[in-house]
Amino acid sequence: MLLPRFDVLVPETIDDACAMLADYADDGVRILAGGTDLLVDLRRPIIPQHVPRCDGCPTHPEGQIATTIECEPSKSDPLMSPEGSIRTKLADPKSAAPAFLVSLHKIDQLKGIELLPSGGLRIGALTTISEIERSSEIRKDWTALAHGADSLGSPLVRNRGTLGGNIANARPAADTVIPTIALGGKLTLQSSSDTRTVAAGDFPTGPGLSVLKPGEIVTDIHLPTPSPHSGSAYYKMANRKALEISTVGVAVWMVLEKPGGPIKDVRVALGAVGPTPILAKSVGKVLIGKVPTDEILVQAAKAAAGDARPIDDHRGSAWYRVQMVEQLTLRLLKSVLSGIENDR
Amino acid sequence: MKKIISLTVNGVSHEVAVEPRRTLLELIREDLGLTGTKKGCGIGDCGTCTVLLDGVATFSCLTLAIQADGCTVETVESLAENGQLNRLQQAFVDQGAIQCGYCTPGMLMTTTELLRRNPHPEESEIRRAISGNLCRCTGYQKIVEAIQTATEDSDE
Amino acid sequence: MSDYRILNTRAPRVDAVDKATGKAIYTDDLRRPGMLYAAILHSPLAHARILNIDTSRAEQLPGVKAVVTYREAGTTPYGVSPARYDETIFCHDKVRYVGDEIAAVAAVDQDTALEAVRLIKVDFEELPIVLDGRTAMDEGQPLLHEMHKNNMCAKVNWHFGDIEKGRKESHIIRTDHLSSKMQDAAFMEPQSILAETESNGNLTMWSSTQAPHYVQRTLAMALNIPLHKVRVIKPAVGGGFGPKASCSSAELAVCLLAMKTGQPVKLTFDREQVFLHSRARHQFFHTMTTGVKKDGSLSFLEHKCILDGGAYASFGIATVYYSGSLLGGPYRLKNMKYDGYRVVTNKPACGAQRGHGAVIARALFEVQLDRIAEELGMDPIELRLKNVMEAGETTCNELYVSSFGMREALEAVRDSAAWKNKRSSSGKIRGGGKGIGAACGFFVSGAGYSIYRSRTYHCTVVTKVDEVGGGVTVNSGSADIGQGSDTVLAMITAEELGLSLDDVQVASGDSKLSVDLGAYSSRTTLMTGHACREAAQDAKRQILEAIAGKMSVAPETLDLKDGFVVSLAGEIDFSELRKEYLQEHKGFVDLPDGPQLTFAEASRVAFLELGTIVGTGKYRPPPLGGSFKGAAVGTSPAFGCSAQVAEVSVDLETGEITMDKITGAHDCGFAINVTQVEGQMHGSIMMGMGEALMEEIIYDKKGRIVNANLAEYKIPTALDVPPLDAIIVESNEPHGPYGAKEVGEGAIMPVIPTILNAIYDATGVRIDELPVTPERLMAAMKAKKDKKG
Repeated sequence: MLLPRFDVLVPETIDDACAMLADYADDGVRILAGGTDLLVDLRRPIIPQHVPRCDGCPTHPEGQIATTIECEPSKSDPLMSPEGSIRTKLADPKSAAPAFLVSLHKIDQLKGIELLPSGGLRIGALTTISEIERSSEIRKDWTALAHGADSLGSPLVRNRGTLGGNIANARPAADTVIPTIALGGKLTLQSSSDTRTVAAGDFPTGPGLSVLKPGEIVTDIHLPTPSPHSGSAYYKMANRKALEISTVGVAVWMVLEKPGGPIKDVRVALGAVGPTPILAKSVGKVLIGKVPTDEILVQAAKAAAGDARPIDDHRGSAWYRVQMVEQLTLRLLKSVLSGIENDR
Repeated sequence: MKKIISLTVNGVSHEVAVEPRRTLLELIREDLGLTGTKKGCGIGDCGTCTVLLDGVATFSCLTLAIQADGCTVETVESLAENGQLNRLQQAFVDQGAIQCGYCTPGMLMTTTELLRRNPHPEESEIRRAISGNLCRCTGYQKIVEAIQTATEDSDE
Repeated sequence: MSDYRILNTRAPRVDAVDKATGKAIYTDDLRRPGMLYAAILHSPLAHARILNIDTSRAEQLPGVKAVVTYREAGTTPYGVSPARYDETIFCHDKVRYVGDEIAAVAAVDQDTALEAVRLIKVDFEELPIVLDGRTAMDEGQPLLHEMHKNNMCAKVNWHFGDIEKGRKESHIIRTDHLSSKMQDAAFMEPQSILAETESNGNLTMWSSTQAPHYVQRTLAMALNIPLHKVRVIKPAVGGGFGPKASCSSAELAVCLLAMKTGQPVKLTFDREQVFLHSRARHQFFHTMTTGVKKDGSLSFLEHKCILDGGAYASFGIATVYYSGSLLGGPYRLKNMKYDGYRVVTNKPACGAQRGHGAVIARALFEVQLDRIAEELGMDPIELRLKNVMEAGETTCNELYVSSFGMREALEAVRDSAAWKNKRSSSGKIRGGGKGIGAACGFFVSGAGYSIYRSRTYHCTVVTKVDEVGGGVTVNSGSADIGQGSDTVLAMITAEELGLSLDDVQVASGDSKLSVDLGAYSSRTTLMTGHACREAAQDAKRQILEAIAGKMSVAPETLDLKDGFVVSLAGEIDFSELRKEYLQEHKGFVDLPDGPQLTFAEASRVAFLELGTIVGTGKYRPPPLGGSFKGAAVGTSPAFGCSAQVAEVSVDLETGEITMDKITGAHDCGFAINVTQVEGQMHGSIMMGMGEALMEEIIYDKKGRIVNANLAEYKIPTALDVPPLDAIIVESNEPHGPYGAKEVGEGAIMPVIPTILNAIYDATGVRIDELPVTPERLMAAMKAKKDKKG
């Protein structure tokens, strides 16, 4: 077995979970949801050096081979890519082998998709990606998230992986996070001492890094009430048609004043083109208040491309990613628009 | 320290002491001796270790045994009844959907979940459902054909 | 329709039920009493001198039973090609790639073994590294091995015919390039090894291998044990595709640990180790200049290739020869020059993989044919039809094709895929994102010579008739690695003995059972098939002679059919034999009662007359090939050929490629098992498609693999592979059993160029670097656009 030794705590309520996280904070504790990322990260690699190390990041504590491998955090070194993903990790204080895992699987409060009286939607953080994929409400009114769920990993990853986990991992390419940001989702974070709400777009702060404090749990995700004449979509670009980490992912959400009328609001979120998902703010400046025309959509797509901050790595070069942001944004703006028009 | 968990595997209930870090795959293969479930990658990339956990196709390599406490597990060994292949297994045998056989147990379990949810899937739904189960021998052609055959038979 | 009862059918595989129920046993499923677990210390550095290895802390860890390094293992060189033995069980002077094996540990459990490995302290002096195969031979590059001067471990310089004469006759001459990346075979079952010794010194190793015979030899040589005391058993194997065809240092290390501890020792690779060990597809850099006459007939090929093979020679010597020799067919080509260089670099060693050495060479040559067809304004299939060889011809490098359905295969895919409706007849491209392309391929049906110099039989088969009557067991050292060779042997035996498949058992994959060189070079159906048929016929002759003797008839008047002895010379009264049989079986049910003598009775009588009936068969190819240096590689008793048509859609704005359909036709001589022939074609197409579009091992600048996992080393999923149409062509190979020859590898040959040609048809751009990712395609389309201005 390649997993290091740890103990697993199995709380049945959120409060208990928070209490455990607080109690064991000093021993090293991590939250286990679906396990599709965490249990991969915790495995001890065959060659320790296959996990990159650099100043300030923890090394595998089980002992090193004698030589010192120099660690140069460099943008041209793929292992050091800020496009950190489930396989190539960056400096991440959480990745030290923890003594405890708090497994959330028995907390029913964290599960389920619930239409709120307000018309909004609450998704429990432990809801699996498959459940989101199969939710007719989400597909109808928060379409981009359904698209994100469709394209994440494989059916087996989706059966196990959770929305909360996908968010908390704070990967710049996370397929459900990009749509959640475009949809204006809000996250509830709870600890033993506090409960707070943050916008999905404000959550990640770097590859694998987020505003989540030690002891905090992402408990649920709120998606706002769908506006009239609105629509959304997500597209993931990758090299094969399943089991992929995206080269580029783009989510678009748009509201019109009225059918055929000017654009009331728009959000475009970009994945895998920066150290975090990016909300392409320039797009709103181009589009809001304007009646959509081909020319202005092209302009908006260029603006989105301008907001992208990709690097070259083994999944794609920066120039290609920028091109794809522009291309995909344009397509998605068009398809969301025609979706709204057809809905009339 | 080991913990006692109880789970039902292929209809048999077990109470087992496991280390918290033990995976469901290790429990199934090493502790219970059910070696039909395979390990192809250990990190959820290939699908050879797929079992049904409370009816859901799950890679057992990335599931801790502890997480299966109180759950029902079905492995490839549960599919045949009284020594008779079930319809899906028979279709895999007859259609040539098996070559090296290493992906077969996982492929069968994933498909079992699909057919319970959707007894008459379209070809595109079949391909999508098995897209997390890698096969390097068949090009998937005969696997897809076998699944189609198994669903056609169920019309009778 | 054939007259066969069993052959040429869709009989289910003999191991399918076990594999569908989870009963099939693979090496990692085995457990032995007192079994220890092994772990290996791999080098973290791509190139370094070993200054010191301190194993003391590892040895002191409770639960550790043995720690071995080169000090225990010795430094007997081994490898694949005897002239290039450049490996030792463990590194002693230097490490040469990230992953090179330094030490191994056996302990009471895997955890302890892994822990112990981490406690081994190695002092290294880092050395400069060579990562680029194109410059590895340059002056001043760091040297990996003293024995491979200039980092070149093999070169081939061939010139057949006269390319200068060919050049003069040419109407069009063009030069093109194609490079590929190192690839992984990505079989689903990681290598697994279990070894055990007996008190008399006998060593048994169960291993996930393609070639028990060669592994047995290497174990004996490198571990210094008499050959007959080494037994290699291959349980069910979850795919091989080439990399499992040679003995690995892990196999040697586990055996050494078993010998040292006296306990069984097991090691199963983690997926990461599969990538580190590699032995898969080389990286190729091809340049070809091809000339054709005005009418499209080929006049010459001048071909240069550098093969980057990683840190050790492995199969690479054969690889560099195959890269050149297999372009001799399937077209008439009188003048061919080839200069091939196989270099070593600080990366995992490459070896054989499906379509050994020839896949990328084939890809470039077939792309060149399309480009030439375009220049000539000719349909690319017509151009190929103009040049295809026919049965009875010999290539310029002296490969004789005794059967050859190339024309038939090409016409079959052309017609089946409705080529003429889809492809512009003027040779112009269709464009607009929809494309169709075609290509051909050519491959050996079994290597003409064994890897070591010997006149050994390539295989023997021992078919033993059950003494109790009724069943037979085929004993063979051959290796069913998922391709279905056991089923082929069972079908041949059942056919010859008039039995049902259920009455034939196949025991195989064990070096004690018989000699068989193993599952590589697409050899088993032809070679072991011959030996199997001969063994069955030998057993049949003995049975019929015994019956004939008892009945006082001529043996030639008897035959075995449908489970009975049949007389060709009028009815025979078998009641005396029946009586004796019934006497022996008082209390048994389902006893024979019809007028015909059953096989159970006949085989029992034969035993009573003669004792145990054992039929034996053997096969060795006749002397093949020319007398030039390296002429042996590429020779074969027969050659398979393949044609394919691919249809693709390309998103011209993103470069995304969708395969719509692939139609393949393969000449396998005669399909012993129709389903399995199709299955080999499907699998080949899928693997080729992965290599064309997505598969590449990516290294960082320190020689570490960035994508040593199946998430980022991408092989096609069920959503990527399009519907596949497999058409079987049967040319009745005179040198094959029942007319059969290969299908396992030949069917991969056309895949990559078929797809490249289809992408060109869809986009008008050519890519000379594989795999064709959306990004590379976009870059090429952009470059073309920019050029046009």
